[in-house]
Amino acid sequence: MQNFTRRQFLSLVGAAGGTSALLKTSLALGLMADVNYAGPVSINAPTSNKKPTALILGAGIAGLATALELERAGFECIIIEASFRPGGRNLTVRHGDKIDEMGNPQICQFDQQENLYFNCGPARIPGHHRRLLHYCRTLNVPLQIKANSCKLAYFQDDKTFGGKPIRQIEYHADVRGLLSELVWKSANAKHYDALLSEEDVAKLVKFAQLHGDLSESGQYLGTERAGATNDRMLQFPTSHQPIELQAMLNSSFWHGGLLGAELYDWCEPLMEPIGGMDAVVKAFLRNLKKAPLLNAQVKKIYNVDGGVEVTFEQGGRYHTVKADYCFNNIPAYFMAGIDNNFTQQYQAGLNSIKRGHLFKIAYQMKERFWEKEGIYGGISYSADPITQIWYPSHDIHTAKGIVLGAYTWEPQISAKFEAMSQTERLQAGAASGNKIHPGFSQFIENGITIPWARINHQMGCGMRMDEEDFLAYFELLQQPEGRHLMIGDQISHHSGWQEGALASSEQALQQLNKLLVMHSQQAGGGRYVS
Amino acid sequence: MSVKALLCAVLFSLCGTFVQAEPAPTPEGLEFCTVCHGNQLKGNSNIAAPRLSGLDADYLARQLKAFRQGMRGAHPDDENGSLMRPMSSLLSEADIAQVVKWITATESPVPAPSITGDSEHGRQLFQSCAACHGANAMGNVQLGAPSLVALNDWYVVNQLQHFRDGLRGEQASDTYGQMMVAASKVLSSNQDINDVVAYINTLK
Repeated sequence: MQNFTRRQFLSLVGAAGGTSALLKTSLALGLMADVNYAGPVSINAPTSNKKPTALILGAGIAGLATALELERAGFECIIIEASFRPGGRNLTVRHGDKIDEMGNPQICQFDQQENLYFNCGPARIPGHHRRLLHYCRTLNVPLQIKANSCKLAYFQDDKTFGGKPIRQIEYHADVRGLLSELVWKSANAKHYDALLSEEDVAKLVKFAQLHGDLSESGQYLGTERAGATNDRMLQFPTSHQPIELQAMLNSSFWHGGLLGAELYDWCEPLMEPIGGMDAVVKAFLRNLKKAPLLNAQVKKIYNVDGGVEVTFEQGGRYHTVKADYCFNNIPAYFMAGIDNNFTQQYQAGLNSIKRGHLFKIAYQMKERFWEKEGIYGGISYSADPITQIWYPSHDIHTAKGIVLGAYTWEPQISAKFEAMSQTERLQAGAASGNKIHPGFSQFIENGITIPWARINHQMGCGMRMDEEDFLAYFELLQQPEGRHLMIGDQISHHSGWQEGALASSEQALQQLNKLLVMHSQQAGGGRYVS
Repeated sequence: MSVKALLCAVLFSLCGTFVQAEPAPTPEGLEFCTVCHGNQLKGNSNIAAPRLSGLDADYLARQLKAFRQGMRGAHPDDENGSLMRPMSSLLSEADIAQVVKWITATESPVPAPSITGDSEHGRQLFQSCAACHGANAMGNVQLGAPSLVALNDWYVVNQLQHFRDGLRGEQASDTYGQMMVAASKVLSSNQDINDVVAYINTLK
């Protein structure tokens, strides 16, 4: 498992930038802000007799949700999307689908079956992503539980335990046992006497014993909690030989994989839409009055008197369209290539958002061999560049399955995969898979690779800002620039998550409400300038 | 609804019929070029995609072919070149001709300076560059020397460093690249490079 660097960790789990005042308040009340979600922003109803208009640049999740809320509030919206498909990074591929990697376009060769699909972008939804779950509920996107961890899945590191894959439950049990043993020893060595009463120290000793399954003398000798090496139904169970403390410390799993199910965004149970994450995109499209314009690349964005003028190219022709407001879901790092009349500072803020390098591989497996090893969903962690292997928890015991064969977000590692040919990528993934499941590669029928930093119209996933830039520009980018507002996961503390995209949309619509009041007053009340 | 409002609504819903401007249209199938290189290939400094408009056809064609055959962008440390390489890998001769024709038809503003240096010192250093690239740095098609004023200054800095560090022009078959590898030896430090680029900026 690769180290989770602090920055990756923060950008991926969304803790970057500290807590908002709202969160602090909610915590003070004993409520988590995300559990207290009250629904989408109520947009101030236009009082003018002219239908207000909005341009939405980009049909990613933020763009689609913004358009839906605006349409419901009586706005006429045009969504302008550069790609041949709506959805942005919410991309589920099936048989025959195109993966629009620049210079390496792929057509997915999965069998033509409903259960054989792969979520190339977002793939899991925790129970506290209230905004996304609101749309899943109200737009009828049926969900199922997605097992994000499986204690019977593996850790594997060439440098540790002779490269042998270790069942996660054994490692977890041993880590707990070894740490508990240390606590037990410290407590008995009176290290806590200044901190705790004699009675509390006794409780701590008991706690350590129970927590780690220690012997009466405070030793960790292995535990039945991690199963047995023999048939524990018919024979007296024999525990596995525990890892030694030194070996545990030298192992790489505690750098990241150990926390795989411990983080707030990965805390179980997670969910996924039945049949693929793009059910969310389809739900938005079903409920929008007007379908997005596709293959329409934005070239110019100008704040003009009383509105925003956008020029886009479609079919070799430039078209200019004007509306009262503009919501921009385009990756901010493209904005320097799009003509605009933004202030220098605002453009500098947009430029401070940098490309992320997420990379995924998926294989169609002719057999669900992992199920024979007791693995039903969840993730194995590898110290190889592939970092992770995900097993599908849907369609258990069917004939075939789609396995995620690599998922990395460390830029240097992803860059190595990006530089490889398609065949090399698939082979590298298979070779690492073989270390966890001998014969892994023999089950592979075909595969796809998704280097987000090379996907047309995206050129990145998991945008990031340096800490300094974040402090300098994030709030500025949340504010309107004239009648133009940035949206997308890039304008959230939660890059790479749909919930971040939806939160940015919500924030932008709150800003819109302020603009509507302001512009209504400027127009002498009840009228919009246009 | 007033007539004016009605008209606005109708116009708005018929966005396909909006007034066409006069920029060079992107040829079908090449839309991906502008994703990085920007409107009218004006460049996107933010993602290190240089401006392409203003460069001559011969140079552009040669570079696309160099990327295609791995003469450029193959070095593992050439991050941006390695991004460009697969883009060119699928281009046929006819495609390259079409791309070049389109690039030379685009018009975009000359990039604003972003590099600072001692332009007076740069002027002295530039004397040897001027032999091929011209005293005004506008390039010389006969000699295969591209315009330097058309390019982003940071891009010129990067390329000079690449020639110096063996990331570009290393292959013996890369005649022009080899010339630049030799020529770049005049610049003995990053400061020299910045100085000469600062001087080129004064010619824009």
